Amino acid sequence: MPASLSRRHLLARSSAAGFFMIAGQWLWLTPREAEARAFAPQILSPEQSKALSILGDALVPGAATAGLAAYIDLQLQAGDQSLLIGKYLGVDTATQASFYRAAADNVIAMTDENTSMQTLISGMAADALSEWVGPPASYVLFVLRADALDVAYGTPEGFEKLGIPYMAHIMPEQPW
Amino acid sequence: MSEMQDIVIVGAGAAGLMLAARLAEGGQSVTVLEAGPERKLSDLISSQIWARKLKWSEPAVSESGDHKIGHAFNAGSGTGGSAIHHYGVWLRMHEGDFSLKSDHGVGLDWPLSYADLAPHYDRVQAEVGLSGDADQERWRPQGAPYPMPPLPLFAQSRVLARGFAKTGRHTSPLPLAINSEPYQGRRSCQYDGWCDAGCPIGALANPLVTWLPRALAAGVRLEHNARVSRVIRSASQSQRIESVEYLQGGERKTIQADRIIIAAFAVQSVRILLSSASEQYTAPGNHSGQLGRYLMTHPAATVFGLFDDETHPHQGVSAGQLLNHDDYDKKDATGGFGSSQWMIGHAIKPHDLLGYGTGRPDISGAELEPWLQRAARHLGNMTLVCEDIASPENRITLSDRLDSDGIPYAHTHHDLDPEAAARWTQRMSEGADIMRAAGASEVWSGPRIGMHIMGGAVMGNDPAQSVTDAFGRVHDTDNLYIAGPALFPSSGAVNPTFTLTAMASRQADYLLGKS
Repeated sequence: MPASLSRRHLLARSSAAGFFMIAGQWLWLTPREAEARAFAPQILSPEQSKALSILGDALVPGAATAGLAAYIDLQLQAGDQSLLIGKYLGVDTATQASFYRAAADNVIAMTDENTSMQTLISGMAADALSEWVGPPASYVLFVLRADALDVAYGTPEGFEKLGIPYMAHIMPEQPW
Repeated sequence: MSEMQDIVIVGAGAAGLMLAARLAEGGQSVTVLEAGPERKLSDLISSQIWARKLKWSEPAVSESGDHKIGHAFNAGSGTGGSAIHHYGVWLRMHEGDFSLKSDHGVGLDWPLSYADLAPHYDRVQAEVGLSGDADQERWRPQGAPYPMPPLPLFAQSRVLARGFAKTGRHTSPLPLAINSEPYQGRRSCQYDGWCDAGCPIGALANPLVTWLPRALAAGVRLEHNARVSRVIRSASQSQRIESVEYLQGGERKTIQADRIIIAAFAVQSVRILLSSASEQYTAPGNHSGQLGRYLMTHPAATVFGLFDDETHPHQGVSAGQLLNHDDYDKKDATGGFGSSQWMIGHAIKPHDLLGYGTGRPDISGAELEPWLQRAARHLGNMTLVCEDIASPENRITLSDRLDSDGIPYAHTHHDLDPEAAARWTQRMSEGADIMRAAGASEVWSGPRIGMHIMGGAVMGNDPAQSVTDAFGRVHDTDNLYIAGPALFPSSGAVNPTFTLTAMASRQADYLLGKS
């Protein structure tokens, strides 16, 4: 992030868009734009970010291109001002980054080229993965699916896909 | 800030700003200390994700127990407090809610009755503006009719009303602090379902459009980002609280006042008092170990159904449109204990904690979008709210964790009484039957959640069994008061905002020497 811009400045401008590292440069982008331009995550590793994106997209198709990985990474940068739904679900903002890292590491450890994402999801939903470490897999699945729903359907574009008029009083500054 | 104030109020929510307005209009000098940031109507962005900015963030409140209170979802921060994102369901408690211990031998009694609050319910509803139809509320306690007619009924609620009628139940318009027509210069509702994100047009009576303008016009000083750490007793008169210590802009400050009102919602009000213990004195209000006890949260859940009918569930208001209280006064009916109510026909979004997409984790992948598209046109939903039973074991304490300023975090523990849990289970089963009777082809329900937060600094006549008297004065002090839902000795099964505002109205009269 450019040194002249504080985190509070970033948050004041928008919770939906932010500075993303793209090919060595900080650019102000929406998560969707960042995803499309292969951003470099700042909190998660590229592998962790990719793993969550793939799993989220398997749960909610379209979430990856809508910018799920970039959205999660941006919100984790916001610390106690994070707007991830985990705030409502008992994920302390002080531990959110480790929550997502652990989730991603589990996914990485339990998948290879022979593992179908559907098999992993079924195992997570049933908490039937004996090597899963950390918060229960079914809980992680619920949180990540809710994040994916936010990105894919919590926007004017998402509403349009469902045939719902958005009817904003005040339209979000960043439509996503 | 060194000058003496008549009144310092901690918390700029529904109770705090109401008291500030009334007391300043009565000639008192008033300063309000609000822990969160300043919020304006222009901050109320129509987005469920942006809406999370309005909820409580740090310092975190840790929770334990089998029925947690959901502090992060239920609490707010900044101007307006949790009332800035409340849904505007303004219901009176019933007469029997005030005498639970006497009538049923469980929980606690209030040190006042419905009759004591009735004039304040009437006065407040005229000031704020409520929409409803008192005649159709066959269960409603005595009171003045609503100043506005009910909101129009949309397709979803008409469909769900069938289920209640077919099972021999009644519905009435849900009384709402939402304008069905222009009221006192505020616009009428547009029925777009963004209530949870805050209502920037002022149709929903959040404190930014009700009490705040009056408070500021009467000269109230409002300090934001002013996080109170403790109240301080007088060195010469231990019964007297002489000042409030708070942190603002990295500085530790104090402000003195004749009278101090803590209106920082249930958990933070208790946290402030518990943090005010010293080597010489117990925490104010904790002389008999009651401070923090009797924490309550309504056990609640939503029942969903899919219909062939077009229901268009995006239309309306988040609170719902219809009400059922048929069983409210049958607290000791077989099957459990406690009152219950149905709020019927919520406007709903596809995502977020209460969204229909979130509530069906079993649907994912390629099946998801077609299902969401169907739900967007054909979904019905209604929420059960049941009574919690006050228990001394459910309590707010200080955590061992300290924040960066050295202030202890709050911890809450809440287990649901087995009889209250049984009532919830019974009513949820009935709710599924109602949904099927309405014509739903598929019925499911969300998890049991804690809705609203009450108790922790309960009022009572016996100083050995309560924290404050009937006017919210902390028993072992002369000039320290609590306001808001922390005072509730019982929860009833109704949304608490109307009652806590009526109580604040009664307190304001008392503090101005009018009662």
